[in-house]
Amino acid sequence: MHLHRQPPGTPGYDLHVQVIPVLSLSGLVLYALAEAYAVAALRTNRPKFDRAAAWCLGAGLIVHFAALEVRGRILHSVPYRDLPDSMSLFAWMLAASYAFLLLRHRESSTGAFLLPVVILFDAVALATRDRQGPPTPELRGSLFALHVTMAILGYAALTLAFVLAVLYLVQMRQLRLHRMGVLFARLPALDVLDRLQRTSITAGVCALAVSATIGLVRARIYWGTIWDAKVLATFVTILIYLGALASTRLGWKGRRSALLSIVGFAVLLFSYTVVNLFFTQEHVFR
Amino acid sequence: MSAVPQAELLLVGWDFRTAPLDLRERLAFTPDAIRAALGNLREEGLLAEGVIVSTCNRSEIYGVSSSEDGDGSRLSEFVARFHGLPEPELRRTSFRHSGAAATRHLFRVAAGLESLALGEDQVLHQVREAFQVAAGAGAARSVLHRMFQKAFAVGKRVRTETALSSRPTSIPGVALELAQKVYEDLASRRFLILGAGETASIFYDLILSRGARRIEVANRTLERAQALAARGGTARRLDEVPGLLAQSDIVVCATGSPQPILKAENVARALDARRGEPMLILDLGVPRNAEAGIAKLENAFLSAVDDLEQIAARNRNEREADIPRAEAIIEEELTEFAAWFGALAVVPTLTELRRRFDAVREEAFDRAIAEMKDITPAQRERLQRVARSLVNSLLHDPTEALKSEPDPLLRVLRAEAVRQIFRLDDERGG
Repeated sequence: MHLHRQPPGTPGYDLHVQVIPVLSLSGLVLYALAEAYAVAALRTNRPKFDRAAAWCLGAGLIVHFAALEVRGRILHSVPYRDLPDSMSLFAWMLAASYAFLLLRHRESSTGAFLLPVVILFDAVALATRDRQGPPTPELRGSLFALHVTMAILGYAALTLAFVLAVLYLVQMRQLRLHRMGVLFARLPALDVLDRLQRTSITAGVCALAVSATIGLVRARIYWGTIWDAKVLATFVTILIYLGALASTRLGWKGRRSALLSIVGFAVLLFSYTVVNLFFTQEHVFR
Repeated sequence: MSAVPQAELLLVGWDFRTAPLDLRERLAFTPDAIRAALGNLREEGLLAEGVIVSTCNRSEIYGVSSSEDGDGSRLSEFVARFHGLPEPELRRTSFRHSGAAATRHLFRVAAGLESLALGEDQVLHQVREAFQVAAGAGAARSVLHRMFQKAFAVGKRVRTETALSSRPTSIPGVALELAQKVYEDLASRRFLILGAGETASIFYDLILSRGARRIEVANRTLERAQALAARGGTARRLDEVPGLLAQSDIVVCATGSPQPILKAENVARALDARRGEPMLILDLGVPRNAEAGIAKLENAFLSAVDDLEQIAARNRNEREADIPRAEAIIEEELTEFAAWFGALAVVPTLTELRRRFDAVREEAFDRAIAEMKDITPAQRERLQRVARSLVNSLLHDPTEALKSEPDPLLRVLRAEAVRQIFRLDDERGG
């Protein structure tokens, strides 16, 4: 689809720029409401709170998507120009992956722990966003869009895996110490958490691998070199997670698998923040 | 002229609080007996509608009375005759409620508040079955239908909105909950049961009821293990246990052995072979059957009887703390039901009111005709019409006021006021 270019200063551009904060803020409020209901559901075990949380999450996803869509129209690309943009897209994908868990596995207790991450990233994105014009040619095109989308999808899936791994350790601790509180009753069984976590890792690693492959091809074309701190960090991340998956097959299930997933996430976080901000030469958000 | 009977809700019952077990056993109704009793009750005109709830802890007759049996004593006489039991004993051990109190009792039963084990689930199922038997026999119609539907709603709400039924309070229940937090689907898991005594037997039936199919029973005497395994499983000798551990997801220890028979070293070896797959060990034996060191092994989850008992006690406290919330739900639903039931009173009130007016009209008319000797049939007819239209006009406004009041509670209050003003209740039995 060809989008009409709306340069800064034209009425269409200004309208878009004005509507984004409204949509983003509404999305954030809806996520916060969903979190409030999810916590209430966790504490009281009332189905009506679960339903309310699901509806707020759905509405938040739609409004947030509309904000991303408008931003994409201004940029003529996937909205991934700078760190705030990528954080906002990441928050959306994380919320969407939780919605998937909810629809596919009827697993609602994760929400109260996952949504704070969504809210944090969305809020930081909203607070630090600035208005910017259309991107340079190398940051356009469908291949670039796929590269970005896959990378952020990978991050979202691996964040989900991280939350599930932490919940696994929490649930395991409760079982060992016989602390059978409300949280114990509401969290899923260990084998379910383990399975969901492994599925998330598989999805995340696949998405990252696709993204990295496209990234390498594009790096050859635009930069002339493929060596960059970001590339290195991404490969380390992929390797750790592949190791986690392989070790599961070799018998590192349960606690160790959860710990590996948490280590992998720490590296991912490092790659996403510190490497992005300070180390990478080429892979910066201009 | 006979009075219009005022439908009244009645309850006569015997439960574990009022009647001893041997009496409760003799008071129990089979479904066929329930059908027969309900038929007799209606034939004898004792009840217009009826439902009999009969479980091992209670026998209760709920009814809509069409006669004047205010304290339900005729119902208890009926039960004495039906079961061939001494009436005085039944009267002494029964409890009787009418009106809102009868409804409240049913709601409390459905909520599990009247159960021996607070908040148990089974009773709601039993109440539902009792209602279905009565409905099938044509004995539960509009009023009891409505009342029991409300009771089911109460039972459901209490179970979802309060902690009254949420957590298990028995040791086997807690053990099963633990198992389901390690492995969600117990049916596909492998069980190893050590011991073939009573505890082992209870747990065996419990996991069979959860769909478990792969069960091994190991016991010192193989014959007893074989007897248990006949329900669906494999019998083993105790010395086979170390070899069986690696493939067992859930191990239940329930032997009377004075020494621990489940060694930590054997479990450690099995866990290595299981490659990180967790193992749950439920030690129901007293003294302990499993070495305490097992609890320290990675991916092993050990729970002893003491642990389970503590969890059960905590859950019981949690349930008790939520009784006020359950009672609030009951009162809420009771108000709704009472409003609906009270609204039923409007129609009989209006019928009685009209009868009263017609009686006055006829009396006045007859007196007037007797005084007028030379009246023509046409004049007489005209006089009759005037009298009727007078009564109709007088009744028009009160009828409308009663019927058109949208608030059911106000409607009941108004019907009550009409009954008092026109002394409609004075005629009863007259």
